[in-house]
Amino acid sequence: MPIEFYRWLVNSPWSHLLNSSEWVFPVVQTLHFIGFALSIGTIAIVDFRLLGLGMKRQSAADLAADLEPWTRLGIAVMLITGPLMFSTDAVAYHYNPSFQFKMVCLAFALLFHFTLRRWAVRSDAPPVAAGLVAVMSLLLWAGVVAGGRMIAFI
Amino acid sequence: MTIQQILEWIESTHLSLAIREGGLPYPVLGGVHLLAIAWFGGVLLASDLRLLGWLMPQRRFSDLWYQFQPWKRIGFVVVVSTGLLLAWAEPVRLWGSPNFWIKMTLFALVGVHAWVFHASVYGQPEKMDAGVTSRAKLAAVLSLALWSGMVLTGRLIAFDDSFEPKIPDVTPVTSHADGH
Repeated sequence: MPIEFYRWLVNSPWSHLLNSSEWVFPVVQTLHFIGFALSIGTIAIVDFRLLGLGMKRQSAADLAADLEPWTRLGIAVMLITGPLMFSTDAVAYHYNPSFQFKMVCLAFALLFHFTLRRWAVRSDAPPVAAGLVAVMSLLLWAGVVAGGRMIAFI
Repeated sequence: MTIQQILEWIESTHLSLAIREGGLPYPVLGGVHLLAIAWFGGVLLASDLRLLGWLMPQRRFSDLWYQFQPWKRIGFVVVVSTGLLLAWAEPVRLWGSPNFWIKMTLFALVGVHAWVFHASVYGQPEKMDAGVTSRAKLAAVLSLALWSGMVLTGRLIAFDDSFEPKIPDVTPVTSHADGH
C-alpha cells in the first residue's frame, strides 16, 4: 500500500509545483529551516533553562508558556513544508535510512513534547526529573536535525 | 600567486582533504552547522520578534536582550566556524558559485547592519524598554531578511550548476533526496 501512495504523492500537483522551477524547492526548504529554527530553537531555550543554563530571570514555567505559541507555529511550518518536500521524491525518502531515523526521532520528539515535557516545565516538577526530560528533549530534536542532514549522504 | 593557486592550495591542505574525502567529517560538520542554525536562528528569531512586539511583549526588551546575548554569541561562533570549515573543504567550487557570493555579501551586510544599528538599538537596549522605536523595528525586519536570505542562498549553493558530481561518469543528480 505505502508504495502506491508514495507514487501518487510524487505525481501530485504540489509535487509538480515544487519541481516546476529550480527555485521552489530551495524556497520551501528555507521555510522548513526557519520553521525548525523557531520550533527547535525555542524548545532548546526552555530545555537549557530546565537544566539551569541561562534565562534565569523568569521561571521555566513562565518561559515555556511565553514561548509555546511560537514553538507551535514553528512546528506547524515544519510539518507543512516537510511533507511537501517528501512528496517530490517519496519512494526514495521512504527507503532512505537517515530519513527513517529522522521520522522515528520526530515521532518521539513530538510525543515527548506534548506529554512528559509539558509536565516537566510546570513549576512543581522535581528538578532532577525536569533536567532529565530536558536532556531527552534536546537529544531527540538533535536527532531530527542531524537525521535530516544525513538524508543527502546515506 | 593567483587566486586559483591559492584556492587549489587550500584544497590540497590536509584539513581540506580530511573534510572533503574523510567520509564522516563533512556530514558531521554539516549536521553541527544545521544544529547551530536551529539554535542561533531560534534565539535570533526570538529577539527580533520581541523587537516587533510579538514575542513576550510583557517582558522588558533589555531584560530579554541581556539573557539572549550569551546564547546568541555561542550560536554565532558555532555556525560561523562550522561554515568556515565546510567552505575550506571546497573553495574552488564555492569561488565559482554566484549563490556563495550572494551569501557572503549578505553576511557582510549583517556586519553593516550591526554597525548601523549599534548606537540606536543594540548598544543600549534599555532605550527600548519605554517602547520599541520604529528604527528598532526596522532593524528587526532587516535582520530577519538578511538571515533568511543567508539560509536561502546557502541552500541554493547545494543546487548550483557549478555543483558538479565528483565522478564525471555519474548521471547528474535529479533527486533532491540525493543532493547535498
